[in-house]
Amino acid sequence: MFFAAFDLPTASASAGLSWPDVALSFFAIVLEGTPFLLLGAIVSGLVDVFLPAGLIKDWLPRSKTQGVFAALGAGVIFPLCECGALPIVQRLIRKGVPPAVAATYMLAAPALNPLAMFSTFLAFRNQDPWLMVVLRFSFSLVVLIVLGLWLARLRPDQMLRAETLVGSTRKNLELSQNPGLVQIPRPGWSLGGLQQFTGAVVRDFTGVLLFLVIGAAVAALFSTGFNRNLLAPIGQNVILGPLAGILLAQLLCLCSTTDAFIIAAFAPFSVSAKIAFLVAGPLIDLKLYWLYRSAFPARFVHGLWIRALAATFLLTLLYSLKP
Amino acid sequence: MIDRLARQVSFFAPAAVMSAWGTVMLHTVTSGHINRLLSPMFRSYVLVAAMLLLILSVLHLFLYDPAADPIPSSPGRWRHFVRWLVLLLPVVAASVLSPSALSGSTLANRALDSTTGAIPMPSMSAASNQDVQAALSADPKQPVPVEVTDLITLSRSAEQMKAFAGRKVRTVGLIDNHGGSSKLVRWIMWCCAADAQPASVALDGDTSTGTKDGTQWVEVTGTAQFPSTLGHVVPQIEVDTIKPTQEPDEPYLSP
Repeated sequence: MFFAAFDLPTASASAGLSWPDVALSFFAIVLEGTPFLLLGAIVSGLVDVFLPAGLIKDWLPRSKTQGVFAALGAGVIFPLCECGALPIVQRLIRKGVPPAVAATYMLAAPALNPLAMFSTFLAFRNQDPWLMVVLRFSFSLVVLIVLGLWLARLRPDQMLRAETLVGSTRKNLELSQNPGLVQIPRPGWSLGGLQQFTGAVVRDFTGVLLFLVIGAAVAALFSTGFNRNLLAPIGQNVILGPLAGILLAQLLCLCSTTDAFIIAAFAPFSVSAKIAFLVAGPLIDLKLYWLYRSAFPARFVHGLWIRALAATFLLTLLYSLKP
Repeated sequence: MIDRLARQVSFFAPAAVMSAWGTVMLHTVTSGHINRLLSPMFRSYVLVAAMLLLILSVLHLFLYDPAADPIPSSPGRWRHFVRWLVLLLPVVAASVLSPSALSGSTLANRALDSTTGAIPMPSMSAASNQDVQAALSADPKQPVPVEVTDLITLSRSAEQMKAFAGRKVRTVGLIDNHGGSSKLVRWIMWCCAADAQPASVALDGDTSTGTKDGTQWVEVTGTAQFPSTLGHVVPQIEVDTIKPTQEPDEPYLSP
């Protein structure tokens, strides 16, 4: 019943929701994301074993605001996809990196990533590619600065789930994100480094995997059941166009290196609607919402969601209204 | 008794989940089902990740002590149990239930009107490009093997359209009879099946194959045409023969 509303009344085809297709899309999303999540968990495990706590903190600028800008720079230089970033970001926070700096990097890495810009150029090569790349990068940067400055003003306890700060050990079992998973070494097996590494990888992987599964299910449902032509009538509208772009990005939940190819083909959308889609999507969508929830409390993620989308809308609206 | 069982579940669940994911991923790769799910770039990553997950689950069992695992407290016990089930069941179910091709309803949801010109099409491979050149310069009655996307790419160049218009072509795709007109569809995949987008050419003539929309692979032989409506060229095949065929090794076209 719910998805019947997604059918466009004037559409030539009587579309609907195919549950087997949802299963196919869900399976494809988790298969695509799992290797990157595992890679993130392995890097996180290596950081846990080899990186002394506080070392990165010593490298970072003292002021949180400067740290936020350093994180934005890191987002351009060290590209990372959304799935791989989460275990690493959580580990860095536990190793003493200020949460505002780590969270800014988490948001910036997919959005400012050179690969995303390159794919944007390729996707729009028949429709003014430089304009799209410049708009995408500059608008993303402005939104990220706004978000970074907001993050810098928050206290860690306003941003983090309790277990992200303390990690899971026997003492704080109830706080643990992965409460059934407290690995106690076998007596007589003193493989300290390997045990610590394996424990960290298994906890981080299974901890974030749950949120990837939930996020992928939501993404599969909407990317399969939502009729894209439904947004076509408002795609050229000065005010509603950017909103339509943002809404479509929330529903389709695409990776930042793919999204440009999908939206480049969407002729009913104006340039500002397409830019809204490309700026909002890598920052947050229905899949990322769940992935972020693996590290951050709901209240914080909702705040992030509202601010990211409002800033994207204002910028693209200004572009849309330009004479 | 229940406490002991809860401790066993809490110790063995991570290994069970990781080995189940590893096995499902390994099976998906070795059975070739992965070709229906991911673009070629990502397939080797899945294979490596599957093997690492199997190794991790063995390491978990060997390195840690099941008897020392704390007993989960009873109020949270069910939550932990459900958590492991959510990690285990959906992926196993999806691997069993996912069909071989996306259906007609998803085709309608993801299809876009008159936008094919804007999509950068996966181009012809070097080998098939040679075949096409050879076929073009050989007997004009012999059908030229092309992909659906090739006809769309050709429709962007006046010169190439001129060389191809009226030529016999042979191509494979999924048949779509929605909305009173027939189309031959090929899905383009950028990363995975969730972002796949359909590209299609119109079919003119008798397309009654008695097959199911969207999921039946057909081989079409006919004449390539490039009619123009209001300045917009829509590639079309005037059908000579249409017959059900096997799914290609690569069901999706990837750039």
